[in-house]
This record gives sequence, structure tokens and C-alpha cells, in this order.
Amino acid sequence: MSTTTLPALSPVKDMATARALGRRRKRADALLRWFCLAATALGLIFLASILATLLWRGLGALDWAVFTREFEPTTYGDPDAPRGGLAHAIVGSLIQTALGTLIGTPIGLLVGTYLAEYARGTALGNAVRFVSDVLLSAPSILIGLFVYQSVVLPMGGFSGWAGALALAIIVIPVVVRTTEDMLTLIPNTLREAVVGLGAPRWKMITLVAYRAALPGIVTGVLLAIARITGETAPLLLTSFGNSVLSTDLGRSMASLPIAIYQQANSGFPDLIAIAWAGALIITFGVLAINVVARLVLRARL
Amino acid sequence: MSSTTESRAAAQPAASFGGMQARSSAALNDTVRVAVRNLDFFYGSNKALKGINFDLPDKQVTGMIGPSGCGKSTLLRVLNRMYSLYPGQKAVGEVVMDGKNILDPDVDINELRARVGMVFQKPTPFPMTIYENISFGVKLHERLSKPQMDERVEWALSRAALWGEVKDRLNTSAMGLSGGQQQRLCIARTIAVRPEVILFDEPTSALDPISTLKIEELIDELKRDFTIAIVTHNMQQAARCADQVAFFYLGELIEVAPAAQLFTAPKHQRTQEYITGRFG
Amino acid sequence: MSHAAMLEAPAPPTRRPVGGAGDRVFEWLCRGAGILVLLLLGAIILTLFLGGLPAFREFGAGFLTSTAWNPVEGRENYGALVPMLGTVISAILAILLAVPVAFGIAFFLTELAPPWLRRPVGTAIELLAAIPSIIYGMWGLFVLVPIVQQYIQMTLGEALGGLPLIGFLLASNSFTGTSIFTASLVLAIMILPFIAATMRDVFEQVPPVYKESAYGLGSTRWEVMRGVVLPYTRVSVVGGIMLGLGRALGETMAVTFVIGNANRMPTSLFDPSTTIASIVAMEFPESLMGSLKQSSLLALGFLLFVISFIVLAISRFLLRSRLKA
Repeated sequence: MSTTTLPALSPVKDMATARALGRRRKRADALLRWFCLAATALGLIFLASILATLLWRGLGALDWAVFTREFEPTTYGDPDAPRGGLAHAIVGSLIQTALGTLIGTPIGLLVGTYLAEYARGTALGNAVRFVSDVLLSAPSILIGLFVYQSVVLPMGGFSGWAGALALAIIVIPVVVRTTEDMLTLIPNTLREAVVGLGAPRWKMITLVAYRAALPGIVTGVLLAIARITGETAPLLLTSFGNSVLSTDLGRSMASLPIAIYQQANSGFPDLIAIAWAGALIITFGVLAINVVARLVLRARL
Repeated sequence: MSSTTESRAAAQPAASFGGMQARSSAALNDTVRVAVRNLDFFYGSNKALKGINFDLPDKQVTGMIGPSGCGKSTLLRVLNRMYSLYPGQKAVGEVVMDGKNILDPDVDINELRARVGMVFQKPTPFPMTIYENISFGVKLHERLSKPQMDERVEWALSRAALWGEVKDRLNTSAMGLSGGQQQRLCIARTIAVRPEVILFDEPTSALDPISTLKIEELIDELKRDFTIAIVTHNMQQAARCADQVAFFYLGELIEVAPAAQLFTAPKHQRTQEYITGRFG
Repeated sequence: MSHAAMLEAPAPPTRRPVGGAGDRVFEWLCRGAGILVLLLLGAIILTLFLGGLPAFREFGAGFLTSTAWNPVEGRENYGALVPMLGTVISAILAILLAVPVAFGIAFFLTELAPPWLRRPVGTAIELLAAIPSIIYGMWGLFVLVPIVQQYIQMTLGEALGGLPLIGFLLASNSFTGTSIFTASLVLAIMILPFIAATMRDVFEQVPPVYKESAYGLGSTRWEVMRGVVLPYTRVSVVGGIMLGLGRALGETMAVTFVIGNANRMPTSLFDPSTTIASIVAMEFPESLMGSLKQSSLLALGFLLFVISFIVLAISRFLLRSRLKA
């Protein structure tokens, strides 16, 4: 390693080439920046366009009748016919969403607890985590097909119970994910401190760990509610829809997404307008839940 | 290494410090609160403690010192079986308390932890109010009426020298306390359960000097009622707080002696090197 | 401390045993719930397969290659090829459209945007993911379809329809605006936030010291991205794209609104077609319980499950380093 055999380093001699290269590099860089800016703008334009369309089409059709009246056939050609609303669908959605959340949340909470507290690194734990992730991203219509085959067929018809069950299956993996993530964030020293007082493990988890992870778990449940509020495909095969207000879970039950779907495809302008009003309600409901979920999480951090 | 310790211990004069002589006879002196006998500890297949024999004298402070990874914290976590939270960790040998080996499988681990309390390196306030933090552990083991519980909370906070600072905000979140206050809260929470032994795992390493001083004064005060073991990196702290000091190195107990003796006239070469700062 | 001394120390402990039964019950409750989830997925697979078995028996392997869809009694004949092709083509086209834009957004959010802008823009993009798919369907039908019909299809068809080899893809005799292309466009917008969010997360995981050493050599942002960030995150980026692909394959309502729901072989991207999810949503509720048609639709559902499962498994495998972090 004699330094005398190495040629002496000298500054770049060909400054013209260097400058030309630099100009090209800067042009490529500027091009990229403009592209990224345009891509972001495009994404925001989509969001703005969807929200603007909803406001423009939905606000015009939004009145008390939407919340208080049930489905009526089109008033097309008969201006004196009563105008319909979405009360049946709103009530049906609230019932099925609430039931789905109530069934799915405890199961998801227990599974998330199992993954974070009992099964770290075990084969069964890894299998459960993988399967839960598959359920999280599985096409929701397939969950509809499953509930149709296993509940609707044996019961002999569409029902609110079947709809709630399908939604519960969608809730489970969402709650599993957030519960496991939030419990994993809790430092082991806190667990040791609780156990060190002589608390059995289940009390450590239920009385302290859940409390420490509460904002995250609440956020997960809220996100799950937001997700199932807009679910349409699985309900199509389970609770099917109904044009009158019904709270009988044993029979087919209306829901907001299904009502929107059916009326938007009806071809009658007055029914389509009601569908837009429903779309406005559902979207802003879902976005509001999302914003609240973020605030809950941020309050803790 | 092991044989060296063995022969050293055998050669030690038996009269040096009452009953806490490391290799004293199997017959337990009544001043010994916890006796560790032939203890080995494994992290998986890795042996972290080798043949430890060691006593905690009743109502005294035992300091445990040694370089990082020497096994002192591991030994502490054996004394309340904290390690059993983690699969793959295993202790072999005897840890005798009131004539009973606490490593036996039939020991109620929760009751053991009520008798052997622990304070951790970082303050670990629970996500609840100050009052609930103290009552949490008590409720696990006793049924107290509201006035009894109030009394217990006041007693524990007073013993931890925190009552005056928090008595007007017992129902606010414990998370709002300063680091030093949180650590004293954790001490109050531990003594509220009324343990016999309290284990301190580097309790001041996350605190400022003034808070550290308060904790040290507190430990000195608490030894009237409790048997205390404290793991520390800080040799001055061991010298200030401890009545007897044990020096660990590479998973072995090298030397245990009254604090003054260990720091002024260590018997072992390794101890000498460590306390004079030549390694560690 | 003097106050403490005044307080009488509590009486000697009379503790009640805590007991381990609660621990065992709770652990088994948790484990039981975990096993329930395993069984649930098993039941879904089994149900779809058993439900589709009559169709698989009736049509054999030909089910996969047949383009037939004839519900007339006595001449019932069903094939999976058209919806399967529609599913795969629309999803892949959606990925091709979404990935560059998602990359642009992710790069903007991690490297270009001033810090005060990152959070609001990031949140807005994430909200795009929260909008229910049926809303995408309506918006697609009433806003996007006319645009595709009047501007994109005509322009592309006239300008490029005469090209050799690919020209036929752009020339269609259907001018309704509902087509594979429109479905892909809506799908692309729907999966955009998912891919962008994954890319942003993995870009942010590149240790700053790597980027800084490249900047230290005088690299531009694009050179740092191409030379350091992309090679470092390549595997995870592909995993994120696969995650988006999985969503696109299974999406139902948005596609149903805009694809035209025609069960015949498309010859152009602007022809109407159908996807598995879409044909199930359209035809299943109205078909007879236990009919061969239902069985064929269940068989299609089983195929969709297999396809998405493979894509999801690959995605998870590629993202495993990110999941661990």
C-alpha cells in the first residue's frame, strides 16, 4: 500500500461536462418534484370531487322526510304522490351495526389479548395472527356468501341476524389488529409492576393493561364501526334489504348502503336524489367517526 | 472460578457479620429473612447465576453491586419469581423464606409477591388516580372498608414521604407527578400491601440527584419495618444505604460483607478491582 | 415523616388467597377466541368449496375455461372465464394506474412537503380510504362515467385506436361509458390511499443516516430516492402494492356500479364486462336457493378466495420485515 504508486487526486478538470451533467440532474429532480406535487394534487382533487358531489347532490335532497319516512315508489308522473325517505334504512343500519359491533368487539378484544399477552412467538399465535390478517383483507362479499350458506339457508331466509353476524365477522380482525398493536406498545415494566404487587395475570391485563391501551382500543372499535357502516356487499346476501321499517331481526332488514344501492340504480331522478341524501349521511357519518377516532388516539400521545 | 469462590468462602472467618455470612451453616439464624442456597438460573440454555449462596438479614439493607450482566438483577427477580412471567427462564436451587422454598411449584406466586414487593428502575405509575394506584394492590389481597382503605392509603403515602405533596390531589392521575414523586408513589404502592421484603432494582437510575437523595433517605427509614435488597450501579449509593453489600461477577457471588468492610478491606482481588474502578 | 410515625401501622396481614383459577379461565377464553378465528376462516373456505362442489362436478375443469353463462332452465351452463378475466384485468390495470400516483404522494409526503403540510395532506389521503365503496360506485357512475364516455374513450379511441397490436384494446363499439377501464379507474382511486400510506410508512423507516450520506455526496432528491430509498424499501413497496391488488380483486360495490355487468368476453378495455365479486352481488340474491346457478356463484367465490389468499399471503411475506418493526 505505497501511496507513491497512486496517481494524485485532482479536482474535476472538465468543468463543462460537470455543469452539463448538473443541469440534467437538476432537470430530472425538478421534473420529479412537479410529478409528485401533481400526484398529491390529484389525490386531493378526487377527495374534493367526491365530497363536493355528495354535498351538491345530497344537500338538495336532504330534508326531514329522509329521516322520518319509509320507502315510497317513485313520484315520477304523479306530483301528488307522497315522497319517500330512508328512516327504515337508517334504523336497520343502526341495529345491524350496533349488533355487529357488540358481537365482534369482545371476540376481537380476546383474540388481540391472546396474541399480545399469551402467544408471542408461539406457532398457534402466528397462525391466528396470519388468519386474522387474511380475514382483515378478505373480500367482504365472500363473508356474505359464507353467512348466506351457514345462516340464511338453514334459517330459510334473509334476516337481520345474518346481517349483524356478517358485520361482526368484519369487525373481529379490525379490533384484533389494534388491540394487539396497542397492548404490544405497553412496556413490560408496567406488567411487571402490576404482577409484582401480587396481581394474577388476568387482573393485570383487565385492570391495568386494558386501561393503558384504552384510547387505542377505542380507536380500533371506532374504525371498525366506520368500516361496517359503509359495508354493502355482505348485507346484500344476508339481510337483503326491506322497504319498510322493521326491527324484527328474524326477517330481512333494510340498511342504508343497500337502500342507496337500490335507489341509485332505479333510474328515477326522485329516487336517485334520495340515494344521494343517504350517501351524504353515510359518508359524513363515517368521516366523522374517523376524525373522532384520530382525536381519541392523539389525546393519549 | 467457581472452585475459587468455594475455597474462599470456606476460608472466611465465620464471625464477620452474624448470620449473613455467605457460607454459614444450613441452620438458619433467626435474623435471616431470606436464604438463598445453591441457586442456578438459566435464560434458556444460558446459565446466568451459578451456585449462589446468600442471605438477606432481617430489617437490614443489602446492597447488590457488580458490572452489567453480572446477575445481580437476575437474582433480585428470582426472589419474587418475576422471571416466571417469561417462558424459557428457570431457577434451580432453594430460596428459603419462613422455612419454605419459594421456588417450589406449590407456592402461591401471587401471595409470594405480596410478601416480597418490588420497586423498578423506571417509575411505573398505573394509568389511574394516585389513590387508585395505592388501593390497587391492597384490593388484590384484602377486603377493606372505605375508611380502612383511606387510612391505608394515607399510611402508605406517609411512609413514602409523599402524603404532604399529594393529599390534595389524590383523585388526579398519577401520570401528572414528577419522576421522583412517581417513584415514591411506586414505593408507597408496594408498602401498602405490607410486604416483608422489598426489592429495589436500581430505583434511582432514572432520577435527578435531589430525588435520588429523597429515595435513599426513604430506604434508610423503611428498614425499620422491612427487609430490603437493593441493586445499584452506584457504589456510593451502596455505601450510603446498605448494611451489607454483595459483589457479583459473571453470574457468581464473589464476596458478601458488611458495607464498611467490603469497601475498605475487600477480601477478593475482583472486588478490589471493581470498587477501585479498574473495570465495570 | 413525623406524621407517618403518628399513624399506627396496620395490623399484621390477613391476606385472602388470590388463586389461579381466574388466570386459567381468562387464558383459555383468549386462546379459545383465537382458535375460533382459525375455525372461522376454515369454515369460510369449506363452505365456499362445498357450496361450489355441484358446479365443479357438473362442469369439471371446463368451468375455468368456459365463457358460457346461460341460466335458461334445461340448458343451464356456467363458466368462470369471463368474470375471472374481468377480475384480474381490472385489478391489474388499477394497480398500473394507482402505483405511480401513490408513489408521487408518498414521496411528496416524506421528502418534499414542508412539515406543516404533511399532517393535513396525509390525513386527507387517509380519509380517501375511509369513504365507503358504495360512495365510490355512485360517484363513479354519476361523475366518472360521463367523463370517460365523452372525453377519455373518444380521445384515446380516435388517437390510438389505429395502432397495431394494442389499438384494438382502445377501440370499442360500446359507448355507454361503463367498462373495464372505468372500473379500473375507480378501483385505482380506491386503492391509491392504501398503497400511498404503505409506501410512506416504509420510506419513513429508512434510517436518516443512509439518506444523509447520499445527500452528502451532492445527490438530488430523486437520486437519493432511486439510489438509496427504493433499493432499501423495494421488498416492502412491492408488498404494499400486493396489498392494494388484494383489495382491488375483491372490491364489489364500486365495480358493480361502473363495469356494465355484461357476462361476455370483452375485446376492448372500453367494453363492459363483469368481475367475480360483481356477478355474485348482482345475481346471487336473485337466484334460487340450492340451484346450479348458486353453486356456480359459490364456486366463483371459492376461486376469488383462492386468488386473494395467494396475493395476501405474498403481500404479508414481503411486508414481514415491516410488520416486525
